[in-house]
Amino acid sequence: MPAVQETIDSVRKIDVDQYKYGFETLIEMDVAPKGLDEEIIKLISAKKGEPQWMLDWRLKAFERWKTMESPDWARLDYPPIDFQDIHYYAAPKSMSGPASLDEVDPEILRTYEKLGIPLKEQEVLAGVRKMDEPSEFDEDSGTPPAGQNGQTRVAVDAVFDSVSVATTFKKELEKAGVIFMPISEAIREHPELVQKYLGSVVPISDNFFATMNSAVFTDGSFVYVPKGVRCPMELSTYFRINERNTGQFERTLIIADEGSYVSYLEGCTAPQRDENQLHAAVVELVALEGAEIKYSTVQNWYPGDKEGKGGIYNFVTKRGDCRGDNSRISWTQVETGSAITWKYPSCILRGDNARGEFYSIAVSNGRQQIDSGTKMIHLGKNTSSRIISKGISAGHSNNTYRGQVSAHRKAKNARNFTQCDSLLIGEECGAHTVPYIESKNATAQFEHEATTSKISDDQLFYCMQRGIPEEEAVALIVNGFVKDVIQQLPMEFAVEAQKLIGISLEGSVG
Amino acid sequence: MSVTELRPRTPAETRLIQLAEAQGENENARRPAIEALRREGLPTRKVEAWHYTDLRQLMGKRLGSDDAVEALRESGETLLEPLLQGSAVVDLDAPEAAHLPNGVTGSASAGEADWKTTPNRLDRSIDTVRAMNAAFGAASATIDVAAGTHLDHALELRPATGLKSHAFTTVTIGEKAEATIVERLDGGTTGAPSTGVNMLHVGAGANVLWIVDQEKGLDSSHLGQLSVRLEADSVFRLFVLNAGGGFVRYEVHTDVVGEGADVQIRGVNLLHAGQHVDVTTTLNHTVAHTTATETFRNVVTGGHGVFQGIIKVARGAQKTDAKMACNSLLLSDEGDFSAKPELEIFADDVQCGHGATAGEIDADHLFYLMSRGIPGDQARALLIKAFVAEVVEELEVEAIEDALETRIEAWLEANIR
Repeated sequence: MPAVQETIDSVRKIDVDQYKYGFETLIEMDVAPKGLDEEIIKLISAKKGEPQWMLDWRLKAFERWKTMESPDWARLDYPPIDFQDIHYYAAPKSMSGPASLDEVDPEILRTYEKLGIPLKEQEVLAGVRKMDEPSEFDEDSGTPPAGQNGQTRVAVDAVFDSVSVATTFKKELEKAGVIFMPISEAIREHPELVQKYLGSVVPISDNFFATMNSAVFTDGSFVYVPKGVRCPMELSTYFRINERNTGQFERTLIIADEGSYVSYLEGCTAPQRDENQLHAAVVELVALEGAEIKYSTVQNWYPGDKEGKGGIYNFVTKRGDCRGDNSRISWTQVETGSAITWKYPSCILRGDNARGEFYSIAVSNGRQQIDSGTKMIHLGKNTSSRIISKGISAGHSNNTYRGQVSAHRKAKNARNFTQCDSLLIGEECGAHTVPYIESKNATAQFEHEATTSKISDDQLFYCMQRGIPEEEAVALIVNGFVKDVIQQLPMEFAVEAQKLIGISLEGSVG
Repeated sequence: MSVTELRPRTPAETRLIQLAEAQGENENARRPAIEALRREGLPTRKVEAWHYTDLRQLMGKRLGSDDAVEALRESGETLLEPLLQGSAVVDLDAPEAAHLPNGVTGSASAGEADWKTTPNRLDRSIDTVRAMNAAFGAASATIDVAAGTHLDHALELRPATGLKSHAFTTVTIGEKAEATIVERLDGGTTGAPSTGVNMLHVGAGANVLWIVDQEKGLDSSHLGQLSVRLEADSVFRLFVLNAGGGFVRYEVHTDVVGEGADVQIRGVNLLHAGQHVDVTTTLNHTVAHTTATETFRNVVTGGHGVFQGIIKVARGAQKTDAKMACNSLLLSDEGDFSAKPELEIFADDVQCGHGATAGEIDADHLFYLMSRGIPGDQARALLIKAFVAEVVEELEVEAIEDALETRIEAWLEANIR
């Protein structure tokens, strides 16, 4: 079946030529020379005032990277990247690291305000958008959905090219014992934690882009939630690429100690340019016994123009390790940006009863190419995972879901449920599904479903029995999981994200 | 002239090339394929089409000593009964000698399997199965079923055994003809691989049922391929039974080029310890208004089972309706099953779906039967049988269902308590 009109209209609203964040901030920058060699790595390390062990770690990664080749297994088509033609470090001249808000260049503050991310704490307190201020997505309904009220408080770490320019609410978080700071600062202030966990989920030799990131990463966020603490507010990092010819290489490390809880979200945008810019990030999550991490992404990098000129190349390694028993990691992603997306947020379910979740909505327009999905590696007993992925392709784009579910021999009673739907709008695009299902255990139960009518007969029956029509019931069940998480997104985009999730399943193919 | 740099060969690769060279006959025709294999080597897991079947490693385990080759020279088991009663048996190394029904002709073609014409879309620059088939000097056979012919009995294709167990068969089914063809893979308890490549052309409005009955010995290795081209309004039905073989890879590639064509693939893979069975399929839809269904049921008590399937819908192939399912019953932690059911879709008005499940016997079903007084063991056996029988019964030809079920039951009896 072809897509319904409402869906077509919703997707059109986020088409590549509708990109709202394409402006550039004119500000004096301190830029390292182009190219990647040991000297540049030493320069980055020196700029960040890093200890020797960190530099050694970077150099080791660089040695390894030189022997590696760029992966070519994804369904992505792009000219070879000249890694020597990129600036690996760019920072606003007025500062070399985060400072108090008063010291931040007002131009940068204005940039974040324009993006809807005010860094002044009182404004954050007032909410990102006032209740009565309509978003362009609400023209038909008029009222923004619940969950978008002014009560949400969010601590923000703002990363501008290679440096973190501001982190809000640090003091209040400190009272709860939560450490939330740029990773460059954490390397200096909490070396014991960083040394213990950095690279423990994504080792430096993991893959081409992760290894490169290990060598040249510039900033990113560090979060540590101590035992038994429920993080008192949402944590958020907002990444902005601004400088021309630069790459952004951020590194995020989140550790949730025993019995703790944290919800974290990231957003990202970039100016509209004709050139392709590289973004190669690594995100590591560690959930110890009984801990829970919710990680949400709203990826809105510049996608390039209608003809596919420009746009961000987004090569990201994200992995969570459910290290302790009864731990839980949940990934939610809304992917609408980037010319190329190569991204597989994964969960290693190591502890017994651990749970991994992956909810994804990926929309591709124009000439965008998305190859994204997840891996659920079941190692512990009674581990469970759930994958819900919805891909929508329009224009001339290609959208691929690539996911792996595996159960180790010792993973008794592992459970997985996967559902991936794809929707095509127009005759020039493509939608692809590449699931890898590997079971080495008789007690493991894997279900990979693509037909919407079969998701859960019991639930469907329950809804229909109560008078809800079948299609609505299906939407209710599938979207129910996702909405829970997305409604918490405090960014302006959340409204658009909600609209996207609401997109009718009608016409979807496996 | 530049000297091609060869990467180091593993013992398995060297051995394989030695074996191919030792075939003796038709050296010149085989040379390009042997060189291609020498150049490319055998695929490993890094080649996506062989993601779960590391051929280089598997061959290493199975291409052993000279004894194996000697044993191969001597072996020459013959099958007694055809799978289906009344079948016309065609020995693929001497097709002209077969007693064929009216409307069917068989001939040995010029002994040159053209392995380069249709590169496998999944593989590397060479199609591994076809290159091996050509390197070993497959005996070429051509079978034609004339337009309008309705065959009452099946044709049973039997490749030669022993060292000559390499067949390249071209089967053409004329317009509006109807035929049942059995590909019988049996015998072969030795270390060197056997290969079989089949090119099937289904004419407009024709209806073909192809049955693969693979019950080779546990020391055998077999690489098979069936490439099918379907014209308008034709029906191609395939049933694959893998109930034997040490290492087996069977590839099915269908190209649907005529509107209204229908592909129905069903299969049962029965695995126990020591086996590696890989079924890889590509369903290619290039025109509008075509349909396909594919269901594989796997029972695994040991060994490694693999299913790779891809449904490809080309731009403009609107209204394609294609479904794929792979269900595995894992009865022991000794075995594993890997599935990769892929979709690749370039048209926006299609219905495509895929499902894959893996697990043990449903406890609810077991409870249901046991609560009605059926002992646990029997209830289990019943459920396993039902799980498999479901796809066999879709054939809707009683004689064929019976023949297949007899074999499946024999396997279940022998391998499941």
